[in-house]
Amino acid sequence: MSETLVILKREFLERVRTKSFVISTLLFPLFMAAMLLLPAQSGGGGGDRDLVLVDEAPAGVGDYLITTLSTPASEDAPSYRIERVPGRMEEVRDELARRVQAREIDGYIYLPPDILDRNEVVYRARNIANFDVLRDIRRAASQGVQAARLMREGLNLGQVMALVRPVDMQTARITSRGEEGGDADSTFAVAFVVAFLIYFMLIFYGMNVMRSVLEEKTSRIAEVLVSSVDATRLMLGKIVGVACVALFQVGIWAVFVAIALSQSDLITRRFGVPPEAFSAMRVDPWVGASLLTFFLLGFFLYAALYAALGAAVTSEQEAQQLQVVVLLPLIVPIMLMTRIAGEPLGTLATVLGMVPFSSPLSMPFRMAATSIPTAQVVGSLLLLAATALFVTWIAGKIYRVGILSTGKRPTLREVGHWMRAA
Amino acid sequence: MSHALLIENISKRYAGHTAVDNLSLAVPTGSIYGILGPNGAGKSSTLRMVLNIIVRDEGRVSLLGHDPEADRSILRRVGYLPEERGLYKKMNVRDVIVFFAQLKGVAARDARREADRWIDKMGLGEWRNGKVETLSKGMQQKVQFITTVLHDPDLLVLDEPFSGLDPVNQEVLRDTVLEAKQAGKTVIFSTHGMEQAEQLCEYVCIIASGRKVLDGSLREIRRANLGNRYTIEFDHPCEAADRWVRGSRAFIWAERDGDGDGWRVELQPGTDTRDVLKALADLDVPLTRFARVQPSLHEIFVQRVGEAAIAHRRPETAHV
Repeated sequence: MSETLVILKREFLERVRTKSFVISTLLFPLFMAAMLLLPAQSGGGGGDRDLVLVDEAPAGVGDYLITTLSTPASEDAPSYRIERVPGRMEEVRDELARRVQAREIDGYIYLPPDILDRNEVVYRARNIANFDVLRDIRRAASQGVQAARLMREGLNLGQVMALVRPVDMQTARITSRGEEGGDADSTFAVAFVVAFLIYFMLIFYGMNVMRSVLEEKTSRIAEVLVSSVDATRLMLGKIVGVACVALFQVGIWAVFVAIALSQSDLITRRFGVPPEAFSAMRVDPWVGASLLTFFLLGFFLYAALYAALGAAVTSEQEAQQLQVVVLLPLIVPIMLMTRIAGEPLGTLATVLGMVPFSSPLSMPFRMAATSIPTAQVVGSLLLLAATALFVTWIAGKIYRVGILSTGKRPTLREVGHWMRAA
Repeated sequence: MSHALLIENISKRYAGHTAVDNLSLAVPTGSIYGILGPNGAGKSSTLRMVLNIIVRDEGRVSLLGHDPEADRSILRRVGYLPEERGLYKKMNVRDVIVFFAQLKGVAARDARREADRWIDKMGLGEWRNGKVETLSKGMQQKVQFITTVLHDPDLLVLDEPFSGLDPVNQEVLRDTVLEAKQAGKTVIFSTHGMEQAEQLCEYVCIIASGRKVLDGSLREIRRANLGNRYTIEFDHPCEAADRWVRGSRAFIWAERDGDGDGWRVELQPGTDTRDVLKALADLDVPLTRFARVQPSLHEIFVQRVGEAAIAHRRPETAHV
C-alpha cells in the first residue's frame, strides 16, 4: 500500500470510528425530519385561538368576520373559536380583561360602531406577536368592512361573498427541463438547507484537517511522518481522507433521503407532510452531480487553506483567531443569501457564483433556486478547480515547512519566505 | 570497509546562522556510531538532512548506498526516533504501531503480528488496545521505540534516545541497540551524554557549532588524547613523600586525590616516566600505584570543544 493510502486510511478510520461522527451523522436527518414533521404534527401550525367578539358594527361585518376566521386559509394557519359577547365595549371591557388574565380566552376583537368610516378594528390579546393571527384578523375585518360597504350600496350578502372571494396562488418552478413541482417555500427551504449544509461541512471538515495538522505539528509526529512520506503526499492523503469521511457522511444522508422519498406517500398520509416537500427533494441528477462537484472542489480549496493555517500556527487558539481570514469569503454569500435567492441570475449572484472562493456556496444556492446556464456552471467549476489546484500547491509549500517549525508563531514575512524556499 | 552512511561536506544555513557547516563523516556498516556535541551543535539538523526531513544546502549524502533526496524509498530501510517524541494520543497502541509500520511498507498482516510480538517483548501487553494517552510517559517512549524498529530497518537513527528515559528504560534501550548490532544493523545516535556514548559506541564524531571537532573509533580517539596525567598512591600517609610530590619539577601540577590518599599529577611534556618512578622508589614509603589516567570521553569532549562552545542552546527556529 502506498504511503498516501496509509495516511488516507488512518484519517478516514480514526474519524469514522468516533462517537461524534456517529452522532452528527444521525442528528442531521433527525433534525431535518423534525423540521418536516413538527409543523405538520402540531395541528394547523399556529394552534387554536379562543377569541371574544364585541360587535357594535353595522349588521353583517361581525358575521362576515366570524365566517372568514372559522374557515382556515390553509392547513398551516391557526384556527379560531369565536364567542360573541353581547353588550357595549365599556360595559364588558373589565370583564374581558379579567378573562384574558385568567387565561379563559386568548384575547378579544372589538368592532366599533363607526368602523365603516373610521376603518379600524381593535384587537387586545395576551400575545400580539403572532403575525399569522394579526394577518388573519386584519384580513377578516377588512373583508367584513368591504362587504358591509358594498351592502350599503345595495348588494346582498350572497352577491358580496361571491364578489370578494379571495384568490389562491399556486407556485411552481420552471427549470430548463420544463415545469417541476415544489412551491416557492419548499424550493427556498431546500436551497437554504443545501447551502448551509455545504457551509457547515466546509467549515467542520476544514477544521478537522486543521486540527489534524496541528496535532501532528505540536506532538512532533510530523517529523516521523516526514521521514517516511513526502510532505505533499502527507497533506494530500490527509485532505482526501477527510474528504472521504465527508462523502461517506453525505452518502449515509442520501440513503436516508432516498428511503424518505420511497416512502413519501406513507409519510404524507401518516404525518401530514405536504407532498411538495418531497418533490423539492427530488434533485435533478445533473444538478446533484454539479452540487457534489462544487462541494468537493470547495472542500479541497478550503481544506488546503486550513492545512496551511494549521501548519503556520502553533496552537489551536491562534488558529481560531486566524481562521476568520479563511472564512470571510464563505460568510459573504451566506450574508447575501436572500439577495442571491431573490435574483439568482442578477449581477451580484452571477459574480459571487464565479469567484472561486464563494462559488462553492453561491452556485449551489443559485442552482437550487433556479436553473443556471450550463456555460456558467462549467466555467465556475473550471475556475474553482484551477484555484483549488493553485491554492493546494501554495498551501503545500507552507505546510511542508510549517509542520517542522516550532517555537514562536511565524510572521507573515516568514510564511512568505517558506513559500519561496520550499 | 563498507559504510551505512557517508556524509560529504554538507551544510545547512538558516536565516540568521549556520546550523551545519561543511560536515563530513563516515559510519561503518554494522557499527554503533555516536554523534556527540553540546546542545545546538547541529546534531539534529545533521540527522534530519540525512533523512531528507530538511533539505541540505550543499554536500552529498549516501544512505545505504542511495541519496535519500533522489530516492526516498531508501528511507523504508531506516528507523528514525526523533528527539522530540510524539504519537497520536487518541489511537490505540496496537493501531499506532501498525500505522507507522505500514508507512514503512510493511504489509498489514505482518505489521499486526510484529506489533504484538514487540508489545509483549516490551511488557506492554496489558495496554495493547488502550489509547496512547492513557499510557505513562515511559510506556509511550517504549511504543515510540517499537514504531522505530518494527519494520526491521538496516539502519537505526536515534536522536537523543536516552533523554527522558528512567534508568530501567535506559537499560532496555541499551539492550535493544546492542541486539540490533548483533543482528548486523547499524545504529547512529546523537547524544550530549558522554556516559552512554562511552558504553555503547565504537565510533564517535564530536561536533560543535556545526563543525566537526574530531571523529574516529573511540579507541583511537582515546589513544590520541591520552594526555600526561597519572595517579600516584603510597602505602600509608607520609609527609616527606607529599613534600616531594609537591616540590618535584617533573610535574606541571599536582593535587590531592578525591579521597585524600593519593595524588593526581600531570607530567611535564618530555618527562621520562622511568625517571619519575626511580625518584618515587627512593622515597621512604612503599609505592602502591603509579598509573596513567585514561581520559574519559567527557574530558576529551570538554577539552576539545572548549568551555566556550558549551553555550546555552539557541532558540529553535524555523527549519527550511
